[in-house]
Amino acid sequence: MPELLDFQDAFVAALAGAPSALSPWLAPGEGEAGLAVYRNTIAKGCVDALAANFPTVLSMVGEDWFRAAAALFAREAPPANAALLDYGEHFPAWLDRFPPALDLPYLAGIAHLDRLWTEALFAAEAPALIAEALSALAPEALARARLALHPSVRFAAFEAGLPSLWVAARDGAEDLDLSETSETLLLVRRDGSVRSRVIGAAETEFLRACRAGQTSAEAAERAALADPDVPLAPLFAALLADGVFGGLILETD
Amino acid sequence: MITAGLGLKPQHYDDALASDAVGLWFEVHPENYMSAGGPRLTALEKVRERRPLSLHGVGLSLAADADPDREHLAALRRLVDRFEPFVVSEHLAWSTHRGAHQPDLLPFPRTKAALARIAANIGRMQDALGRQMLVENPSLYLPLTGHDLDEVEFLKALVAKTGCGLLVDVNNVFVSASNLGYAPEAYLDAIPAGAIGEIHLAGHGADEGGSDLLIDTHGAPIAEPVWALYRRLIRRVGPRPTLIERDDDIPAFDILIAERDRAAAELAALEVQHA
Repeated sequence: MPELLDFQDAFVAALAGAPSALSPWLAPGEGEAGLAVYRNTIAKGCVDALAANFPTVLSMVGEDWFRAAAALFAREAPPANAALLDYGEHFPAWLDRFPPALDLPYLAGIAHLDRLWTEALFAAEAPALIAEALSALAPEALARARLALHPSVRFAAFEAGLPSLWVAARDGAEDLDLSETSETLLLVRRDGSVRSRVIGAAETEFLRACRAGQTSAEAAERAALADPDVPLAPLFAALLADGVFGGLILETD
Repeated sequence: MITAGLGLKPQHYDDALASDAVGLWFEVHPENYMSAGGPRLTALEKVRERRPLSLHGVGLSLAADADPDREHLAALRRLVDRFEPFVVSEHLAWSTHRGAHQPDLLPFPRTKAALARIAANIGRMQDALGRQMLVENPSLYLPLTGHDLDEVEFLKALVAKTGCGLLVDVNNVFVSASNLGYAPEAYLDAIPAGAIGEIHLAGHGADEGGSDLLIDTHGAPIAEPVWALYRRLIRRVGPRPTLIERDDDIPAFDILIAERDRAAAELAALEVQHA
């Protein structure tokens, strides 16, 4: 008989507000204070983890709002595993549907950028491609080569200036304005720290092409189509200096 | 020689590297390092180059009525291979239930069926890691009925069935004994000395909910009655690696080192007595 599982089912029901489920193991009227201790510890563990993983959301809505929202989220979507550094993958989408956040339409996007920051921080280690590695390459060979992105690279494009808003909030700015210019936030880990840069349409298309496995010539073409006014050599040099490329895959046949 | 150690917190990485305390070692929760990469792992590697390390798991859920999560075990194995800890430990508790993880150490009735399940899970953990683990006594808050064995009997049976060792958390003994109404001295006196591989010391607090329960907060200095129980324990069993745990309301490194030095002095006094 799976009596241990029966107990655990009953315990989880008791935590959710039905203490009578534990009656085979707990005398009537006993244990309310103890169950409250477990409830509080679990909620605190989840909320503290979310506060650590979504610091920009926290700074924008304040401690009380954040902790109340995070506690509701944790009840609906408890962590799937014990590594809480990864907790909150679905928090941005949840915030997007959270009625009290309806008058904060930028909040889900801010949460998404916090999530990408966490992913960049804990991504696999890999050396970044440096300019010297390309200097020996003939221009035609570089054009036909594919540039692999560094494992820590994350980017997200928005129709408004959410990336600038996120950067300003992250830097502790008090007056936050949301511009209507479309922007992309680029995140990449360098020397153990996640660096961020707001980029435009040309760089975004260049990165998308690299992510899709296209050649650097195709990437350059996409960048030029997205914004013909952007000179490509400095664009490429800036991305290279950011350390967004993890490797160069030369054409083999 | 490994004497008294400290739980390592990210805000103390630089202090940990700079400390010249003799015999100091560190302990971390492996769950906080289960990532593909990133600066935490790099920092831990630097600390490990200078100090012995213990991996103290909080999330394997050994007392769940289910096999330990394979991915979790594999991640733990990678950390063990990379950091070569001198001890690996986990809790006599569960936290995972039907796919959801509750970040707490939850209780269960100590039945014979539970004993068989947990012994099997400890066996799987030790097989996966290729080494012995230590199991830690929990803090308890509920007067559950339906136990077949008392806690020390249960721990002794796990040692006999699996060859695991014990991590004795003296603060947890104090908290549980106070909450459930038994004598902590008798509990500690019943633990077989040969099974004890490590000792934990931490602070507790009153229940902010207003009950008489003591809460294992790890958020305060170690209480004097816990120091007294610690002295009693090590006088009986001899010196053991002893860890100061602090996970909430974390003070400056020096303040934690002062508590750690007190434990180290207790261990040193023992050596003199036995000499």
